[in-house]
Amino acid sequence: MIGHWKKNFLAVVYLVAALFFIYIPVVVLVVFSFQDGQLPVPPFNGPSLQWYEKMFSNDRLVESLINSVVVAIISSLLATVMGFLAAYGMARHDIRFRAGVRFILMAPLTVSYLIIGIGLLITLNIFGIPKSLLTVGLGHIVINLPLCFAIIYSQFGGHLRNIDWAARDLGASDFQTLTRVIAPVMKPSLFAAFCLSATLSWDEFIIAFLLSRFEVTLPVIIFEMLRAGLTPEVNAAGTMVFAISMVTVAIAAIVVSVNFGARK
Amino acid sequence: MSAPGKPVAANIQFELSRWAVHPAIIFTLVFFIIPLVAMVIISFWQRIYGKLQASWTVANYEKFFGRDYLLEALYNSIEVTLLTLAISILLAYPLAYILAYKVPSRWQRFVLILTVLPFWTAYVVRSYSWLLIISENGILNVALIAIGLIDQPLEMAYGRGATVLGFVHFFTMLLTLTIYANLVQIKASYHKAAADLGANPLQIFFRITFPLSIPGVAVGAFITFVIAIGDYITPQILGGSTEVLVPQAIMLQIARAANFPMASVMSITLMIVVVIVYFIIGKYLKMDRI
Amino acid sequence: MGSLRNTIRRKVTRRSFVAGAAGFAAASAVLPKTGHTADELNVLVWCDHADKKLLAPFEAKHNIKINVKTYEGTGAAVSIIEQSSPGDWDVLVIDTPDVPMVVGKGLLAPMDESTLPLSDLLKPLTSAAFNHVNGVRYAVPEKFGYYGVAYNKEKVNPADMRSAQVMWNNKYKGRVAVYDYYFPTMQLIAISMGIKPDAISMNDLPKIREKLLAMKPNIKMVGDIVSVQNALVNGDVDMIINGAEFVVSGLMPTMPQLDWTIFDEGGLMWIQGLSVFKDSKKKKLAFDFVNHVLSPEGQGALATSECYWAMPANKKAVLSAAEKKILRWDEQAAFLGRSVPSTIGRADIDSEMLDIWTEFLQKK
Repeated sequence: MIGHWKKNFLAVVYLVAALFFIYIPVVVLVVFSFQDGQLPVPPFNGPSLQWYEKMFSNDRLVESLINSVVVAIISSLLATVMGFLAAYGMARHDIRFRAGVRFILMAPLTVSYLIIGIGLLITLNIFGIPKSLLTVGLGHIVINLPLCFAIIYSQFGGHLRNIDWAARDLGASDFQTLTRVIAPVMKPSLFAAFCLSATLSWDEFIIAFLLSRFEVTLPVIIFEMLRAGLTPEVNAAGTMVFAISMVTVAIAAIVVSVNFGARK
Repeated sequence: MSAPGKPVAANIQFELSRWAVHPAIIFTLVFFIIPLVAMVIISFWQRIYGKLQASWTVANYEKFFGRDYLLEALYNSIEVTLLTLAISILLAYPLAYILAYKVPSRWQRFVLILTVLPFWTAYVVRSYSWLLIISENGILNVALIAIGLIDQPLEMAYGRGATVLGFVHFFTMLLTLTIYANLVQIKASYHKAAADLGANPLQIFFRITFPLSIPGVAVGAFITFVIAIGDYITPQILGGSTEVLVPQAIMLQIARAANFPMASVMSITLMIVVVIVYFIIGKYLKMDRI
Repeated sequence: MGSLRNTIRRKVTRRSFVAGAAGFAAASAVLPKTGHTADELNVLVWCDHADKKLLAPFEAKHNIKINVKTYEGTGAAVSIIEQSSPGDWDVLVIDTPDVPMVVGKGLLAPMDESTLPLSDLLKPLTSAAFNHVNGVRYAVPEKFGYYGVAYNKEKVNPADMRSAQVMWNNKYKGRVAVYDYYFPTMQLIAISMGIKPDAISMNDLPKIREKLLAMKPNIKMVGDIVSVQNALVNGDVDMIINGAEFVVSGLMPTMPQLDWTIFDEGGLMWIQGLSVFKDSKKKKLAFDFVNHVLSPEGQGALATSECYWAMPANKKAVLSAAEKKILRWDEQAAFLGRSVPSTIGRADIDSEMLDIWTEFLQKK
């Protein structure tokens, strides 16, 4: 082990330097969320939980946190289900306009969130539809649907086609095959798609900013806090967002590796 | 309705899987394609004296392409994005290479996750926390002065350099992921075969590893390009508005003046740039392989 | 034909809306609303009104919930209103010189002067010029301040700060931030050139543009309130042009080296006013809120709000001696005497100013 590292001295140095670069903003953010003082800049005056207390007694922030969770879960669920159905349909049949259908499904990936948001905003204005968490959620489905589709579709291998036909030969209906045979086999990638969407929606700012009104999501509130005063409370809120994302990613990573590991 | 003797279930079966693609397609058409069409239409309208008028004119396009300071936003956006891309690839490639070939395989997954975890740092505060690092009273200057490397704080915050720094941090992680995913798919037998044929390590890298890893670089580069060129927060916070990129120009039009026609023109221009990039590197892109 | 269209509509509705809408509707039904409040009041305000110490007493007293939407700049407020439906909003806080423009759009409700504590408010602020249209009052002043300069006393010579010429002073090259609000900055330049802000015409814009662009070499950054505060606190700049009490007062208790002033050439004043929307469905509650903000306690809370401090309009505002000192409360008579209000220009001038501002930001 040590011999291995010695031989690759440069690689180790590079790896450590890269990790330092990657982690420094996170460390600074987290450390100064515990600042005992009014400003999140050096010197660090020693640990204090006052900004976390302040954050959790901020009603608007707590409400927006709940909004964010709800929007993330529901929009990701819908994106995952629609992505799964689309992947199933594409894998199962040689449908007409195959290339065209794929192109349309994947197209939102090539357009910036800002532009997707402005397009939706203009459309809402034209049709006189009020902005709300519903519209934010719709925007999040737009950005997450292609990802869910791509992740799930990439796992639809030939073996599933065989399972599909086998189930069918045994007299299972489409619906039964889908829910009892295919979905369970696909569970890890469905879960991965859901978790990835959820973290992206949870942390999405510009669409939520453009399409929300009174009820806003957490990133919008944090942005407002950023514009409203220099305070370690922003660090505390940022740390919490990061922590929740990390937990989600960790759960996804464990579930996926356990399931894929079992199959090997 | 069904003909006698034909099981009803067969009909339902037939229906369900045939219609499975439709929800996603219709959703995308309604909430993605229609808004883009609306945007194109609005770009030919005008906002005059605070009112939107369906005047069917190319005046907004003429204004955007006719005024240096607006067109310059486009140049700035492209320059910043390309600079970000170049530096990020240079930093990410060795990192992905080390992860794929130098880190023992049982540690790989752990180190990979460790490397990309800050990808999930709250987006809105990511740039802000860089500001806390590079400002004149920030951690970096304080540390450099403390160890005696400098005696005057370095001016790093606000400007193109700071914007690129914020971008590079984020996209290095993303590119490391896509390049790594590609590198681990290159079969070890290729390397062994090349070595058996007498190729030295450099030759193996440039003749085999690098060419085979181009798709991974291309996918990461394309995603980077799409996200970076449309990002508002990073240049807004780190750039200190010392220059304007297209997303900032768009937000100025929307937030200050509710000028949707002008914002649409700028958005469409950005999309066209992305489409051009897509066609340039498209042959390496296999989006479904991500 | 009609039936085809109906079928399509029904299909589209089914396939794409229902799933999403049902999900979200269900979700918002289960969403916990903090407390079971009888009513809600929607207020569109500058960020200083989001402070709990201002809102909580009113929410508790009336058992309601106040929904706050914050904006920065009159243009932004109008842009938000234009993207809303009538009846969405109850109370508006906007710079009073812009009130006639908003009234012109038919948005505000007339106010009954007998219900307002007008006699407690500072005289120059209650001037009919901004709050009245055709003899009817539509707004009441609540808070005011200036556009001038905020600075770090340890880094600059305070004497230099008294003249508008500091905007072009080479001594501070690269040490200057500008608060990102286009028309007051240009109006400050106009004042330095001897042009009254409300007299700026299209013909003056080329001259103002030239002076504005000439500032750029000195400028380190341009940003919103917190960005410029950040730059000042972090030592990246030593002064904030187009800033004053609203960018530094809140920081002064912890950083006494900060200070602010207005230019000798003349001060440029901002005055926030409270208005009630014509289409509000809760006018009674809205007017109660207006009176709450104007009360001595409300005024003290608003003046020292988390987001930014500034001077209260009410002479009786509850402020400590230290707070009064930071707000230069005793100098207000003199300051007000040589200040003029800042007002958004005509639509065409305003749009041209925004273009010039974009050019200024872009200039290398």
